[in-house]
Amino acid sequence: MAGTLGVKAARIAIVVTMFAVWEMLSRTGIVNPRLLPSASDTLATLWELLQRASVRNDLAVTASEVLTAFVLAVPCGALIGFAIAENRYFAEVVKPLLFFAFSIPKSIFLPMFILVFGVGFSQKVGFGFFSTIFIVIMSTTTAVESVKVDYLTVARSYGATPLQTAFRVYLPSMLPVLLEALRISMIFNLTGVILAEMYASRDGIGHQIATWGENFQMKQLLAGVLMIAVIAMTFNELVRSVETRCSHWRT
Amino acid sequence: MQPLANITPLKPASRAGAIQASHVGQIFKTSTQDVVALSDVSLEVKPGRFVVLVGPSGCGKSTLLMMMAGLRQQTSGTILINDAPIPQPDPNRVGVVFQEPSLFPWLTAEENVEFPLALRGVAKSERRAKAQDALKLVGLEGFGRRHPHELSGGMKQRVSIARGMVQDPPVLLMDEPFAALDEQTRMTMGDELLRIWAATGKTVMFVTHSLTEAVYLADEVLVMSARPGRIVDHLTISLPRPRTYEMLSGDTFGTLRDRIWRHIRKSA
Repeated sequence: MAGTLGVKAARIAIVVTMFAVWEMLSRTGIVNPRLLPSASDTLATLWELLQRASVRNDLAVTASEVLTAFVLAVPCGALIGFAIAENRYFAEVVKPLLFFAFSIPKSIFLPMFILVFGVGFSQKVGFGFFSTIFIVIMSTTTAVESVKVDYLTVARSYGATPLQTAFRVYLPSMLPVLLEALRISMIFNLTGVILAEMYASRDGIGHQIATWGENFQMKQLLAGVLMIAVIAMTFNELVRSVETRCSHWRT
Repeated sequence: MQPLANITPLKPASRAGAIQASHVGQIFKTSTQDVVALSDVSLEVKPGRFVVLVGPSGCGKSTLLMMMAGLRQQTSGTILINDAPIPQPDPNRVGVVFQEPSLFPWLTAEENVEFPLALRGVAKSERRAKAQDALKLVGLEGFGRRHPHELSGGMKQRVSIARGMVQDPPVLLMDEPFAALDEQTRMTMGDELLRIWAATGKTVMFVTHSLTEAVYLADEVLVMSARPGRIVDHLTISLPRPRTYEMLSGDTFGTLRDRIWRHIRKSA
């Protein structure tokens, strides 16, 4: 949301204050610096980590896993969601089941993924896919239902084929809801892949974070947290900027 | 002897724009009972006429219109447009203008108007030219690049009319197109529609709740009763054209409107 200048300034002030408080707590020793290294130290460590080839490699591994899982889960989930929403009977049968499946925490299935896929790329992608697909299916059904019947009648009255209706009416009409779904799916996807990396892995930034934690390397750990936070927020904001552009046709 | 096949039979003159309904019935099946929505509706509209359908809510006037558009099939009877049945929508014969929220918000005004042409794969340049013409006809020259949310209610309906006319169909069906507009805009749009109609010579079938609008616009008014929907009266409006605002307060106007109102009160 593009706020006014004052609102933006207030937001920046809050972030700056948080970093300042963090710095102050650590420097004055109110919180043990071994537990909470100062913000400036953490940022310095972050910079240093980013220079390391091994860390860059970890980031690349995680990125490839996340993107692969995402690229597989989104179209699959969207197709299933579309099929469910389009078929009344199927929707009635399957929807509650999906809600059941969605309510289960996905993390409890992680050991099974390791047994099936071993420790490696496919395990991360598989688990990322599994963490993401339910939310994609559910958001797509919601998106399909958000399409106004009036639009479909108009398309029909001008002789649109089913394929034309799908691409010229459903897709653009659903776009605002779909973009939101995309954003939320990425959060689930990222969580899934990083969790899988932290649980059992040889590389990836999630694995590094877990290792730094176990070794009590607080500076590196916090730097890793910042790294992932920034990446996640960047993706989120990118999608959101597109979203606001088509907000005027949200129903 | 000359074989008969060599003689070219005289083709009957195509009656583009003629609407004919005979003994049309519609029954909606619900879980508890069958609801007769329309019963034995017959009507005949000559090409180029402006016909208004009025009636109380739920009398099936919109249903009848949707059947003429090929969007819905009748349970019994036949409907002919240009002397041919209409089993599915046919934008070359029939253009439809719906109630307000039917423009696609993700397209600009001209893209909305082009939509029916885009579906048929008409080339971009030809599409754009036709859309420009249609927008000019409805008085929206220069507004093509705007999105619907940047247009007023009346302007949106002008775009809808342009969209309905872009393929130049002989028949224009309008389902309460001005219902969502305020009174002043509604009057202006009525005059605009009459101007467009006079300029294009299309057959217009117009559904409305407003008796004033019905008498003001129509050559003929068909009055329907509710449950089952039937045509109970057929008025020919002999007021001269162009219609003017002063006619609204005239005796003829009042008499015609009263006659329609009595039918509607009876069946409501």
